Amino acid sequence: MKTRLLVLLAAGIVVANGFFPAAWILLTSLKTEAELVSKPITYWPANATLGNYVQAFTDQPLLRYLGNSAVVAAVSTVVSLVVAALAAYAIARLNLRRRQLILTCIVASSMFPLVTLLVPIFETMRTLGLLNTYTALVLPYTVLNLPVCTLVLVGFFQSIPKDLENAAMIDGCTRLGALVRVVVPLAAPGVFTAGILAFVNAWDEFLLALSLNASASMRTLPVGITLYQGEFTFPWPIISAALIVAIVPIAVLIALFQERVVGGLTQGGLKG
Amino acid sequence: MKNLFTAALAAFALVLATGADAQTKLRVFSGGQQQRPDLMKRLFDEYTKRNPGVTIEIETGGATSELQRQYLSTILNAKDPAIDLYLIDIVNPAQYYGAGWLEPLNAWMGDAATAMKPYLPVYATSNVVEGKIAAMPAFADAMFMYYRRDLLDKHKVAEPKTWDELVAAAKKIQQAEGNPNLQGLSIQGAPIEGAVCTFLLPYWSQGKEFNDAAGRMTLDKGAAAAGLRQWLAMVDAGVIKKNVAEVKTPDTVNEFKAGQVIFAINWGFAWDRFKDDADSQVKGKVGVMPLPAMPGGRSATCIGGWQWAVSAFSKNKPEAARLVRYLTSPEASKFLAAEGSLLPTYPGVYTDADVVKAVPWFKDAANVVVAGKNRPMSRDYGQVSDIIRTTTSAVLARTKTPDEGVAEIENRLRRVMR
Amino acid sequence: MAALIDRLRDPSEKTLGLLLLAPAFLLLALIVVYPIGKLVFNSFFDLRLSGGGGAARFVGLENYALVLTDKDFWHATKNTVLITLITVPGALVVGLGLALLANLPFKKMGLPMWPVRLALLLPWALPLAFAGLIFAWFFHTEYGVVNDVARRFGADEPTMWLLRPGWAFAAICITIIWKTSSFMALILLAGLQMIPRSLYEAAEVDGASRWQQFWQITIPMLMPSIVVALIFRTITALQTFDIPYTMTKGGPGNATETLAMLIHKTTIEYLDVGYGSTMAVCMFVLSLAVTALYLKRIGQQA
Repeated sequence: MKTRLLVLLAAGIVVANGFFPAAWILLTSLKTEAELVSKPITYWPANATLGNYVQAFTDQPLLRYLGNSAVVAAVSTVVSLVVAALAAYAIARLNLRRRQLILTCIVASSMFPLVTLLVPIFETMRTLGLLNTYTALVLPYTVLNLPVCTLVLVGFFQSIPKDLENAAMIDGCTRLGALVRVVVPLAAPGVFTAGILAFVNAWDEFLLALSLNASASMRTLPVGITLYQGEFTFPWPIISAALIVAIVPIAVLIALFQERVVGGLTQGGLKG
Repeated sequence: MKNLFTAALAAFALVLATGADAQTKLRVFSGGQQQRPDLMKRLFDEYTKRNPGVTIEIETGGATSELQRQYLSTILNAKDPAIDLYLIDIVNPAQYYGAGWLEPLNAWMGDAATAMKPYLPVYATSNVVEGKIAAMPAFADAMFMYYRRDLLDKHKVAEPKTWDELVAAAKKIQQAEGNPNLQGLSIQGAPIEGAVCTFLLPYWSQGKEFNDAAGRMTLDKGAAAAGLRQWLAMVDAGVIKKNVAEVKTPDTVNEFKAGQVIFAINWGFAWDRFKDDADSQVKGKVGVMPLPAMPGGRSATCIGGWQWAVSAFSKNKPEAARLVRYLTSPEASKFLAAEGSLLPTYPGVYTDADVVKAVPWFKDAANVVVAGKNRPMSRDYGQVSDIIRTTTSAVLARTKTPDEGVAEIENRLRRVMR
Repeated sequence: MAALIDRLRDPSEKTLGLLLLAPAFLLLALIVVYPIGKLVFNSFFDLRLSGGGGAARFVGLENYALVLTDKDFWHATKNTVLITLITVPGALVVGLGLALLANLPFKKMGLPMWPVRLALLLPWALPLAFAGLIFAWFFHTEYGVVNDVARRFGADEPTMWLLRPGWAFAAICITIIWKTSSFMALILLAGLQMIPRSLYEAAEVDGASRWQQFWQITIPMLMPSIVVALIFRTITALQTFDIPYTMTKGGPGNATETLAMLIHKTTIEYLDVGYGSTMAVCMFVLSLAVTALYLKRIGQQA
């Protein structure tokens, strides 16, 4: 009995730690702005209203932003996984000299703060005529996620016994065929893990999305959310409503795949 | 002969047809929500009605002056020709022109002095860089002193004309009302653009100037420190709240609306918020007056507002300039004033009959705006603003003394505002 | 020709390797190498966009000399290093605690796992910039939850969190730790679940206490996961930008200004592209040095 209580308490702590800002935002999204300056502060909304959600969708094309974020995140995740898988296979399986160096190079690319690369990347996209397109964001996001995806997948590929591939190749597969038909399915948990990591990263990215996809029809969610504020106003209730709209899809995604994600990491993802 | 004639006719018709199809598309960056893209759209529609060869596409984005500066910085840095017109803050023309991002408008507006004459006096300095017109005024703004007329009447206090009178008035009302949450005066102390004004207001009200006409800094350190000390004295007296360095523009507005403030310094838009918002507790109780002066000084306020500029990388400069002329005409100014309560850029429009009918308080606003002063014009305004606002906020947070703060401002700006 | 096709159909290891790595390297070249190149190139010029339309003046290493004597640069570096030194171990400790809590046998008690795992992942899924805004509000002197709770516990004067350099720094570190510990917890949880129970059972039989088991089984077995998590966390910590930027804008004064913020301010607000690029290169060198240190230590241990 006592253990059960302790376990419940432990669970409670973890859940509270993770959820309390989201809970606060949820409560705020139901309040009115006037209520936010009342003293002492209120937790539960005095007159709960859904008006903020309505306004969140009408003040700006929130649905459109959702769509844009979804497309960009999904496409960049898939591309990232494919490119990472190819690279990870080469590093894990092939007897290349300087494999460690190659992996280090890929990881090192994440050492430059995005902030500093902003203007050159913008210039590149402009020269290529890609501004305000999905491609403009997919390319940098893919690169952003490449190091982590590659690292995770390398760990996975290394843990899969070579015999299985050899068996497949004896049966007549080419190396690439073996990669696709044997290795990747076995590494599925790792693929899931890397995929979720990439997706959330892309979904949350702000700086590049602000500069590259600025027009209203191409904006992503994080950028759109900052636009509810004005020079002179900061409508927390409406922004909170929009934040909930931004978080819920990710939360659902994670809830659906959390088993796989942890499983993926368990099965030998990050053994370096 | 007849064949040739038909051919010529056909060719002529062809030219006419393509000519009629030669639409110019202008893309306009018109700021964020606060710059009223809805009203701008109506102006654009009117313009395209009168000029059928032109279509206008609006681009909004960047909610605050800062975010916009960031966004525009990135685009203009990369010489993007996609946008033809920019609506920029009044503090930006000098900086953007210096960076080579704006097209001088002298070719279309005439020489600088004559072009700027009909407008408020402040634009002659803010929009003109070395004789070149960098931007034309769209609508103005200024900082006003709002106050609870009902409270002043109730406790028989007159409108204060000096800062000392204001402190006395605030203290008297605070004591009489006995409400611990009632603030005497609300100003913006957070490191936002408005904090530059917080620094300059008491300085200017002593009659001092921050820079001369050539842009060189003429800071009177003693006066500046005295100004900051005055704010701190008000905090000590309980007139201004202790965490003033956290207060941003919306905070002042929300607290005043909730009835928690007696005097408040804020931009022009606040008037409508106090008057019209559903949750405003102060409807009908608000008055507006010029900012107090220091003894021996004069009342001065900070001018804000927005300007139209043509991109140096635009491919349709003549058309863009024509649109700018329309957008900055007296007719447009009147429209924006009557429909959106946006302060006019022409002194005459303040007393125009239609405007006064729609926005009666503009009559009083006129005096305030005409006496308005510009923040320091510099091609390095980004740096100037950052130094002044962060140091002012630090002084108000009491992490630096006024003398330290002023010394630091002078030190850093000396390198920039030579 | 036939030989080429033959080679492609059944390529040698080297060719295959090149082909497989090509997409990754192409992307990296476009998005990372070229911009970095431009950055390094710019760092040798006095390129100020506010001084006349971008006329660049070649100054060689002068910018670097200026950086070495720049008070603000060293102050920002100090802040960045401090944040790294505090939040990386902090996130590790908190993350380990959360992971241990989450590793309790919920399933055996019939409790669902998903709320716990979701709770671990949610902080990480919240966009950085918004986490900063939300926590800035939590730490607000008047309207913040932190002060409200303190008040209910009897504190008389509300702490002006974001207005005192020390407190602001603490608030920022707390926020960063909260945000990053969740991901650490996830990685550590996975590591924990990989440790075979048999090891613990054997130790118990040998008479080892829980504490000893923890230090002699858990930690060593977790080491690989810990190391990888630490490397990524350190790199990101050195680049800290969003949270201090949204919480305090570097204030009060520049007490909480990090290197990334200074670079951003110099390039985007001051339009001093040359000098900003110089600082960015210095920052890269710093990150590289730190990572090299890590890798060396791992190499020594392995």
